Parts: sequence; structure tokens; C-alpha cells
Amino acid sequence: MNNYQYVVRLNKPSMFSSTKVHIKNTRGTPLTREEIFNKKPLHVLEKIRENLERLNEKMEIMIEIQKHGHNELQPLSDAPLDVMTLLSMPDHLRKTAMTICRCGRATAEEVSQQTSRARAVESAYLNQLVIMGYLKKERQGRKAYFYADRDNQGDH
Amino acid sequence: MLIETIKVIIKMGKIVAVHSYKGGTGKTSLSVNLAATLAKRGKKVCLFDLDFRAPSLFVVLKSENSECWLNDYLNGHCSIEKVLINLSDRIHGNDNFYAALANPATEAIRDMSAKDRKWEMRALGKLLSLRNSLLRDQKFDYLIFDTSPGLQYSSINAIVTADLVVVATTSDRSDVNGTSRMLKELYSLFEKKTGLVLNKVLDTALLSNKAEMKARVKNIYQVPMLGLVPCFCEVLRAEGSLIFAQEKPNHPFTKILNDIAKKIDTNDVS
Repeated sequence: MNNYQYVVRLNKPSMFSSTKVHIKNTRGTPLTREEIFNKKPLHVLEKIRENLERLNEKMEIMIEIQKHGHNELQPLSDAPLDVMTLLSMPDHLRKTAMTICRCGRATAEEVSQQTSRARAVESAYLNQLVIMGYLKKERQGRKAYFYADRDNQGDH
Repeated sequence: MLIETIKVIIKMGKIVAVHSYKGGTGKTSLSVNLAATLAKRGKKVCLFDLDFRAPSLFVVLKSENSECWLNDYLNGHCSIEKVLINLSDRIHGNDNFYAALANPATEAIRDMSAKDRKWEMRALGKLLSLRNSLLRDQKFDYLIFDTSPGLQYSSINAIVTADLVVVATTSDRSDVNGTSRMLKELYSLFEKKTGLVLNKVLDTALLSNKAEMKARVKNIYQVPMLGLVPCFCEVLRAEGSLIFAQEKPNHPFTKILNDIAKKIDTNDVS
């Protein structure tokens, strides 16, 4: 299984309904049906899901950048996530940032349970806060954890 | 698993911050007596002095020598356990009344006044972590934060950390105006559960019609009223040197504090 590196690519990113997914091996050639089903199919599916989730996150970030423009999302290296920063944030981001402050470290799913907003919405806000430099993001397997790095944040 | 987590959250204690717009509204007196009343009701309570610019709890609690102060905990120099002082003997309680005091030394006050935003962010993290270290692990039922008045960093950190904010206010016009603005422009942004204590009330007509007063407070401040405390000469005469609710159990002030504690304990803040 280590011989394969699965790459998921959207053929037509503008048309979600006709999205096609290709799985390639490390040689860059698409896997045949036999290859996919004869090797560990569950593992292959897990990889597909993982890659689709990452892709989804990237798209959410792109949407946020498109919505708000680059300038608004510039990381502020000297602006730690303190209470005055929380006060100056727009309401929708403050709610997400406050939840991370309370939880310490959480996934978009966990934040969405606290805020009663959709997971995809929280994922977009969390990634926006990461881009702005207030939160850090760390992957553990399939899960992406968000946290405020209080020990190192702002020490630039 | 989820049900277990919810059970733990429901069972966990609460953080109550006592705050005000102006100084001299009776925050410290309310904090001390509220903490003592909750402890007398059998709750495990810790009272925190978060007024680093004018520490005062050490006088009321007669505890001027501490190995570690709350300042040291927030500076990352010691654990919270080293800061806690067991004062259960003061209220004849069963190991359930503790305090964490701010350092009253001038140098410490100066040091705390000069902290930057990075430090305040870490201090917020330290305060938030009390939820795990004291409420979850050491099974405290209540952490009561006595804060600085107005919009100080330490007070806003305390408000963000708290589950419930008790706002002490008086009938003073500038206090009414400032408190009302603070509630709209600060508390509502953090979506904090808030209860108001109208303290030092002199108008006897107001005291006789509590229902009307409650409605009037709700109308002005848009938050529920937790209690109406008349201006008691005996409380002022004590000059902040004793735990009033402990020393005078039958005094009307103690009874009002009991009602407020009961409301907080039964989650009847609406």
C-alpha cells in the first residue's frame, strides 16, 4: 500500500454536479478498477474521503478570501487573540473564536456543536481565523484541530 | 460517550464574575459575602481577587502573607494549588471555603499595570484553564471572581471566563448610564448570562415595591435583577473588615445575599 500515493483532483471545479475523482498511484497513472478493489478498498475510500475533506477546506478558504478580499484576511503577527481582539471581531467570527478559547482545542465539528451552526460554516470561520493568524491548525489523521497558540502566538 | 460528556458538563461547577462600571459599588463586599453564603450552603467555593490594581480581599480575609499570589499563577511561576488558601475555619465550614489573593505590594501592582496584550492573552488562557483544574479535577462548585471596575483587561478576561456575571450598580446617574452602556456594548458581544444587583439603595419607596423595581431595572438595563440591597449602615460600619454574612446571620443583608445565592445555585437568573 505504501507504493501508492493517492491524489484526488477535481476535473471541473466550477461544476460540482459533474465532479470526477481520479485516484493515481505514485507513477502518476490512474489506478485500474482491479487495482482499487484488489488492494485494501476501505483504505482507498478513507484516503478519498480524507483528500476530499482537505479539498473542501481549501475551497472554503478560497470562498472566504473571495468574499472578504485579501487585505481583510492578512495575518496580523502582532495581534494575539486577547479579549480586545475578540471585542473588535465581527460577531460571526467572535462566536467561533470564543468557542475555541473555551475549549482550548477543537475540531470544526466540535465547535459547531457548541455554536449550533453548520460544521461547514464553522470550518470556514475557523480557517479564516487561521489565515488571520489568530488560530493554529494541526492535523491528526483525518481530523483537523484548531487552537490558540497562547505560548508562541504574537512572539514574532 | 456524548451523554457522559454532557453529564460531566452539567455536573461541573460555575464561574461567577462580580463586576461593575464604577468603583465603590460594593463588588468586594458582594463577592465575599456571596462566596461565604454559598460555602455555608455546603458548596465548595474559591474566591478570587482579580482586582490587581487595588487588591483588597487580603484585608477582608485577614490573610496578608501568602507563599504564592494569584499574580504568580498568571505569570506562570507557580500552580494554582499553591495560591489557594484554605479559609474554611472562617465560616465553620467543612473544607469548602478557599481564596486566591492578589499581591498588594506596590511593586506587584505596578508590574500588573504594565502587562502587554500577549501577557493578557496568556492570562486569559490561565483563567480558562481553572475550569479544568479547579471545577473538574478538584470538584469546586463555584469560583467567584472579584474584578476591577470598568473596562480593564483583567475584568474583561474574567467576564470572558465566567458562566455568569453579577453586575453591581447603584442609583448614581453616571453609574446607571455607564452600566447600561457597558451591558449593551460589552456583555452582549460576549453573549454572557448576566444578573444585576442594585446596591446601596436609599429610596425606601423603591424598596417597598420590588416588583415594580424589577420591571424598571429590566427596562433600563435589559438584564434580570438578581437582588435589591438597601444601604445598610451596619455593613458600612463594618468597614470591610469582616465576613458580614458569617458574623451577622440574621441581618437583612445576609438574608438578601442568601436569596441571591439561592437564585444562582438554582440557575434562576431570568
